[in-house]
Amino acid sequence: MSRSFLARNPSILVFLACLALFTLAVTMLAPATGSGLISTSFVKTLGKTLCLCLVALAMDLVWGYCGILSLGHFAFFGLGGYMIGMWLMYARTELIVVESLSNAVIPPTPQEIRDAIGSQIFGVVGASDFPAIWIFAHSLTAQLVLVLLIPGLLALVFGWLAFRSRVTGVYLSILTQAMTLALSLYLFQNESGLRGNNGLSGLQNLPGISASQDLVSVWFLWGAALALALGYVLCAWVVSGKFGSVVRGIRDDEARVRFLGYSVEGYKLFIFTFTAVIAAVAGALYYPQAGIINPGEIAPIASIYLAVWVAIGGRGRLYGAVIGAAVVSLVSTWFTGGLVSSIPLGVYTVNWVDWWQVLLGLSFVLVTLFAPKGIGGLFDLIARRRGQ
Amino acid sequence: MLKRLFATLCLVLSLGMAPGAGAQDASIQPLLQANAALITESSRRTIQPAIDAIAGSGLPQAPLVLSTWAERDMWQRLSDGQFFRAQKVKGGQYALIDFDTGAEVATVDKDAIEQLKPNSGIRALIGAALVRFQLSDPDPAIRVAALDAIDRAAEAGHLAPLKAAIPDEPDPAIRARKERLLTLLTIRFGTESAMRVAAIDSLAGDTGVDARAALNPLVATSRHAGTVVPQTVNVAATLKPGSDALPRATAYDMLVAAGLAPPRLTAEAARTTLSAHVEDGAVGGVPLHQLADPAARDRAYAALVQAGQAPPAATEAEVDQALSTHVFWDQYAEADPAVTDAARAALTRTTLMVGLNQALDLALDALSLGSIYFLAAIGLAITFGVMGVINMAHGEFIMMGAYTGYVVQQLIPNYTVSILVAIPLAFLVTFAAGVAMERLVIRHLYSRPLETLLATFGISIALQQIAKNIFGTQARPLTSPAWLDGSWVLNDIVGISYIRIAIFALALIFLVFFLFLMKHTRLGLETRAVTQNPKMAASMGINPDRVNMLTFGLGSGIAGIAGVAIGLYAQVTSEIGQQYIVQSFMTVVVGGVGNIWGALLGAGMIGVLQKGIEWFNPSNTLAAQTYMIIFIIIFIQFRPRGIIALKGRAAGD
Repeated sequence: MSRSFLARNPSILVFLACLALFTLAVTMLAPATGSGLISTSFVKTLGKTLCLCLVALAMDLVWGYCGILSLGHFAFFGLGGYMIGMWLMYARTELIVVESLSNAVIPPTPQEIRDAIGSQIFGVVGASDFPAIWIFAHSLTAQLVLVLLIPGLLALVFGWLAFRSRVTGVYLSILTQAMTLALSLYLFQNESGLRGNNGLSGLQNLPGISASQDLVSVWFLWGAALALALGYVLCAWVVSGKFGSVVRGIRDDEARVRFLGYSVEGYKLFIFTFTAVIAAVAGALYYPQAGIINPGEIAPIASIYLAVWVAIGGRGRLYGAVIGAAVVSLVSTWFTGGLVSSIPLGVYTVNWVDWWQVLLGLSFVLVTLFAPKGIGGLFDLIARRRGQ
Repeated sequence: MLKRLFATLCLVLSLGMAPGAGAQDASIQPLLQANAALITESSRRTIQPAIDAIAGSGLPQAPLVLSTWAERDMWQRLSDGQFFRAQKVKGGQYALIDFDTGAEVATVDKDAIEQLKPNSGIRALIGAALVRFQLSDPDPAIRVAALDAIDRAAEAGHLAPLKAAIPDEPDPAIRARKERLLTLLTIRFGTESAMRVAAIDSLAGDTGVDARAALNPLVATSRHAGTVVPQTVNVAATLKPGSDALPRATAYDMLVAAGLAPPRLTAEAARTTLSAHVEDGAVGGVPLHQLADPAARDRAYAALVQAGQAPPAATEAEVDQALSTHVFWDQYAEADPAVTDAARAALTRTTLMVGLNQALDLALDALSLGSIYFLAAIGLAITFGVMGVINMAHGEFIMMGAYTGYVVQQLIPNYTVSILVAIPLAFLVTFAAGVAMERLVIRHLYSRPLETLLATFGISIALQQIAKNIFGTQARPLTSPAWLDGSWVLNDIVGISYIRIAIFALALIFLVFFLFLMKHTRLGLETRAVTQNPKMAASMGINPDRVNMLTFGLGSGIAGIAGVAIGLYAQVTSEIGQQYIVQSFMTVVVGGVGNIWGALLGAGMIGVLQKGIEWFNPSNTLAAQTYMIIFIIIFIQFRPRGIIALKGRAAGD
């Protein structure tokens, strides 16, 4: 089965080869494992970009293939980050606390250690007790399970409610946007138990690992690349075959698929939840590289950007999403990083840090108007020319 | 100084020897002379008896003397120590005016008299004493000022004069105020229990801040512990340790604080004691490395107690014993039970009235918030509701309107004129922007509604960034004209600012305007026709392009006007539109797409919901918004097409 599946989709092999080449090349150039031609922060940027590609992949599956324009998938991304962040923060604070308490004459009791960790983590929001949601924070395994479980559960409940009452099209988009807004507003409160607008910080320090950030950045690059490869194959497998055909059918004419006897809600719910879990995994890999997560990350605008990446890359083709996310986020970093020289126009100097957003916004408009297939459409042109 | 003291001494002596000095009937001079030592000493600490003597003398001259004194016009003649009002005549000459007759007694040189210079502390005391005279002053302004003075710093001495000043009061408003003040003073300073209770009863259900401020101290309690409840105190309640009101730990802490029981051992104290008695790597025979276990710590501490190296701590049994042999009670600061009972009863009714008034205030708030959402959403109700276009840049049109208002205010300094100019100008600017956007972008995307969302989002972030580049990131103020300042106050609880009333009025105007436009004009008819079936409308001679363009421009223009209104009460930043866009969409979706009444109901519902949830947890508006959105998500389950759902073909699908 697997063989024939890959044979039917040669583009998967091409993608995997490109990804492997890219990862190897970055490893060769990274400071810890290669020539050091690029900086550690750039390695991190590339690693983060791979995570964004993964969440864009999820977005493409739910929007490009299933026709659900979700404006809330960054909420799942952020939740994944929060779940792994809880363990990272807890475990690292525990190490620090145990270290500082070991100098005392009398060894600390478990309760004393826990109290000290609590006041370390929650002192910033004026509390010292652990909220109930931190009950599993000491266990990496439990939090890894929660990375999949919590966003998956949220997507399942929300999707079930929404699809059951046949909320579709733009209404669903607005509803998902409301969901992510509600979540981010909730997390902004100090009482949410996740440190309010301070968010979770210091996530780049892996507890119990003394390796330098130079090396850790390469590990995460590999981790992200592996996750992206796996996610790509999984998504490609889901959309191929009969299941994929039904999903595409729902996108094109939902009523007709329903009349043919398929459980449209079930398919949609599966895709929605499945992509939410992929987004959560991407987030769990992203935030340890970013080092900090706060509720601002899951504001509605982030999810809209996600949709825009996919639109620019080209909907309905998995590599399009990856290309869109990579190109837009890297070009964004390039422009906003102040690396592009300003253009003096005599009376006014165009400073790209200020004007990049304008350029970006207008390019969305142009892509939507004139290139609805996005960058991925170029591949069609090439293929057609070759065919002629 | 010495000279003055000497003079005073002489005066007192001479007064004693010359009893005929104040022979005139009802003269105030003898009184002044009797208190001359205090008056001339002029110390804030000792002056009160002198002031009381003058004020309480019952003489008609008393207020004149006090006010003259306070205004530093009272002088003392050095030759005989008599006090006079002095007026500068010319050169160094002063005319001395007798307090009793008001006649000029003599004209003397400045060297012969000495001015009394009361400091500000004394003047304040004199002022307080004067209040009772001012209460009956012929000038209403002075009477009101006197009432204000009592309001600020009431004292027991005001009670009698206030009561005396009521029957002769001609002005009904001032009379009512005097009566109210008398009631409040009676509650605070009254001596007879029955009168106080009657005063308290008359305030039952009164929601005024002053009434509540008078009643609340009466029911304030303090918590005490002891072996028996004293007979003399006014007990509010006796408490049982271990109940919700008084947890056991708190109760025991009270006993410890009162010195009635030994303290319990805290973990912190145990650790300090243990670490102070480490011997050969062990404490009380327990090796150090085992002390991470709480049980081992207890063993070690017990061993230390046995060895006499640590103070014994109260055991659980001792705690039980102490708690059972002591009583805990809340007592009123007010000693009279009749008064506290009456106050409690009055406050119960007051609380109910306050609750009702708060509900009214909340309803006003909700209405105002709803009208803001309605204003923000009405343009969207046209572009999204009627035309089906998702305009993510709608918020930026609001922002453009607000910035237009700001720029106009920079050019026209008169706020009233500038607002009147800004409103049509904002409409024109955003109308033009809307038409341009419709022509250039949206026209090409009518068949792909989800992609309009992306394209308009691109326009949205571009506009936001352009605004940021032009106006910077700091908030720009949009000042409202002076006649919109302040607020309409019904009572101490219910009130609403004029700006919010103006926004409400504006929302109403737009509602009427919109209804008229859609139902009674050619454009409205054509718009409805085009949105229902563009091809059929076109074949009837309507130009759909033109209608779409105008409708979209209209929706955008209204957003611009909403921007001016919103800018008046919120700070104008480049992100002002972002704060309203999601709520605006929800308003339209909740209300029902394609229907202006739906937008109105949606805005009203969201306003009421948000304020209602805030009422339960006023400190946390973020939580209120969260719960509101969750509620809306659930609401959509039951009415997926909104409160007012279109039926039939107009519903689209």
